Amino acid sequence: MNALEQAQDILAAWVQAWHTPEDNRFDAQVAPADLISTVQALDDHGWGYLVAITGLDHGAEAGEMEVLYHFCRGAAVLTLRVAIARGQAAVPSVCAIIPYASVFERELAEMLGVEVYGTPDPSRLFLPDDWPEAVYPLRKDAELD
Amino acid sequence: MLASLFALLIFPAGLFVLVNGLAYHWIDRKLVARLQNRVGPRWFQPAADMVKLLANEEVLPTGVDARLFTALPVVALAGALAAMIYLPIAGLPPLYNFPGDLIVAVYLLSLLTLCTGLAGAISKDRFSIIGATRALTQLFSYEAPFLLALLGPAFAAGSWQINEIMAYTSSQWLILTQPVGFVVALIGLMGKLEMAPFDTPEAETEIVAGAMTEYSGRGLALFLLGREVELVGGLTLIAAFYLGGINNPFDYALKTLVLLLGVAGVQTLMTRLRIDQVVGLWWRYGALLALGQWLLLLGQRMGT
Amino acid sequence: MSKEQFTIPIGPQHPALKEPGHFTLTVDGEVVTGASVRLGYAHRGIEKAVESRNWVQDLYLLERICGICSHIHATAYCLGVEKLAGVTAPPRAQAIRVLVAELERIHSHLLWLGVAAHQAGFDTLFMYSWRDRETVMEVLEQLTGNRVNYSANLLGGVKFDVDTRVLETILSGLDFLETRTHHYLDIVSGDRIFLQRTRGIGMMTSEQAERLGVTGPTARASGVRRDIRVDAPYAAYDRYPIQVVVETTGDLEARFIVRLKELLETYHLIRTLLDGLPEGDLKTRMPRRIAAGETISRVEAPRGELFYFIKSDGGDQPARIKVRTPTLSNMASVTQLAVGHQLADMPMLLTGIDPCFSCNDRLTTVQTSGESETWTWEKLRQYGIASYRERG
Repeated sequence: MNALEQAQDILAAWVQAWHTPEDNRFDAQVAPADLISTVQALDDHGWGYLVAITGLDHGAEAGEMEVLYHFCRGAAVLTLRVAIARGQAAVPSVCAIIPYASVFERELAEMLGVEVYGTPDPSRLFLPDDWPEAVYPLRKDAELD
Repeated sequence: MLASLFALLIFPAGLFVLVNGLAYHWIDRKLVARLQNRVGPRWFQPAADMVKLLANEEVLPTGVDARLFTALPVVALAGALAAMIYLPIAGLPPLYNFPGDLIVAVYLLSLLTLCTGLAGAISKDRFSIIGATRALTQLFSYEAPFLLALLGPAFAAGSWQINEIMAYTSSQWLILTQPVGFVVALIGLMGKLEMAPFDTPEAETEIVAGAMTEYSGRGLALFLLGREVELVGGLTLIAAFYLGGINNPFDYALKTLVLLLGVAGVQTLMTRLRIDQVVGLWWRYGALLALGQWLLLLGQRMGT
Repeated sequence: MSKEQFTIPIGPQHPALKEPGHFTLTVDGEVVTGASVRLGYAHRGIEKAVESRNWVQDLYLLERICGICSHIHATAYCLGVEKLAGVTAPPRAQAIRVLVAELERIHSHLLWLGVAAHQAGFDTLFMYSWRDRETVMEVLEQLTGNRVNYSANLLGGVKFDVDTRVLETILSGLDFLETRTHHYLDIVSGDRIFLQRTRGIGMMTSEQAERLGVTGPTARASGVRRDIRVDAPYAAYDRYPIQVVVETTGDLEARFIVRLKELLETYHLIRTLLDGLPEGDLKTRMPRRIAAGETISRVEAPRGELFYFIKSDGGDQPARIKVRTPTLSNMASVTQLAVGHQLADMPMLLTGIDPCFSCNDRLTTVQTSGESETWTWEKLRQYGIASYRERG
């Protein structure tokens, strides 16, 4: 059983949809409420490590955003895709399970305006101290000039 | 009167030592640079640095005692210069002497570090305060071994007067009979001058410039000059005590430069020590070795 | 000193940092009791900027994320975009990508050795290692025309070939560097005074390393066997396998040893590669528009795993590019490990992960009063001129 099949087994209970975009990759659609349980399950089984958190803004028209949690194990990449409404962009923090996710979550929060509730340090990481509130540079409709 | 003024301002204490200090500072930098495979500065670089610093604006940090802040560098330099009067600078016999002048000279040479520590402590800057703490900690660790190392020759000569000790050491090279004292004295001098690897009090990568962080312009120039004067004084003292005395200018130049080469070599070879390692090194090895040497001498004297 | 608690700012401007970052250390005497980090002083908004440029322009922009590991950023991007477009670069091009990447690794590791030695106050090692680094810099200059930002990659291939003259320079350079690397290995594992500053300092077990998310040589020094070149070979690494260098002690000394031993592996790899450099074209045709889709590109940068997420919606510009640099991943370990160490160990500890702040920070904002805005270069230039005129 290869790494991705294992991951599939571990996550079977929570995953809403599977998708294989490329070799050695698996994209798993997960509800925001199930995020913690899935991450916990991966951690319990010692499956891979969190390599990055990507925020995707699909634009004002779509009204949707996605937060992608990329886990790697060897050559295999598992991506947990969490779809959230653009109006109330919020995901739970995974720091209780993966402490180093803190910097990724801080970046996600300030760049895309996704509220990460429960994150241990919500302060800014990259943006200047006097950066205006509620301006999220990586959103598609951010006005920066 | 005129003669005393000359002694204080021109030779041996004033201008001569300053020029000598700048020259030795350059030689030290050049040697270290060559040993590190660099080109190194041109001959007038230390002097040019001084001119630049003296011409620079002196910034007074807010909240410090202005009088103390400006007086400390002056005291530090004056102390170092005053010590020169008792030393055989340029191979000529010391200008003034009295029984026990060795102690006075060593005390005057410590004044610089005390002033550095005080300057750092009043600067109200975090880096300065840490630098000052480290400078004073280091002072307490090398000062006793350094003194013990200088007392060895004094003990052998049976005098506390620099020219009498010199008269004794001219006839024999004490480096052969008291090698430990020589090493401790030379390393102690490097600690005094905060040279690598004892540059913890001004470790650039940790605390910027340590106690000197808030100093600029004239104040900084005077501190740096004080250190260069001390370099000359320290080398003279060690050469006179351990390397068969200093009898003429040629002797002086040769012996102090050989010492300088050794100092540059140690600077190149070593990694900076942490402050706890410095203290450990001095008290665990330096002080005990110097004390051992001293007890050995005592035993010899009792025996004869 | 009294038992008073004391905070020491390291940065944004500090002699220990060659790039701007800000660490706040709480100390009790000489012992660090707390640490926190603030980044972004070199943030240029590259992730945003790539969304308004075309695929080719982005290559040059992304290569400028880092001045030291520039080639590896461009490689990660090219490999990702090629994957999306369904194009594979010719074998010779892939081999040349690996060649430049490995030369870059030599340059980066030697640079690190010098910086780390300087942090410890061992300037002699600093000077010598940087002198030797010139060898590889000259090789890179002869090969690519540049000392940094080599611009070797094209979408679909590479820009230049390796001719016999350069080949000889590389091989003789490697011979020289190999003897020097052995010498440095002796120093970092044998010089007793240097070892006082590295042995047992910044200890990180492999469990801790996993918990703190460290990557690259820092992780391998703690016994975590992870190297993308082996785990998920990209470009031509499947043809030129390497041995993963792992140390288990997890202290600063191990981080020195791992990086130096990696250099020896790299020399070996470059020799094998040059020995059997495949013949053929240097590039293939790339479409101007890239098919819609998402891809992930992972490469082993000198500092660890570099992760690219690239999304295209079928246009001539990317929809999103996410860059996760190794330093960001390694940063958590610094603030965690700092506690309990001596202040004097901090510069070494920070350097131990080989931090690259420009990599982390990707926006130019100029703050005058309370407001902040993004200025154009021209406005910035005019501001500078006016400001100096006022001062006289």
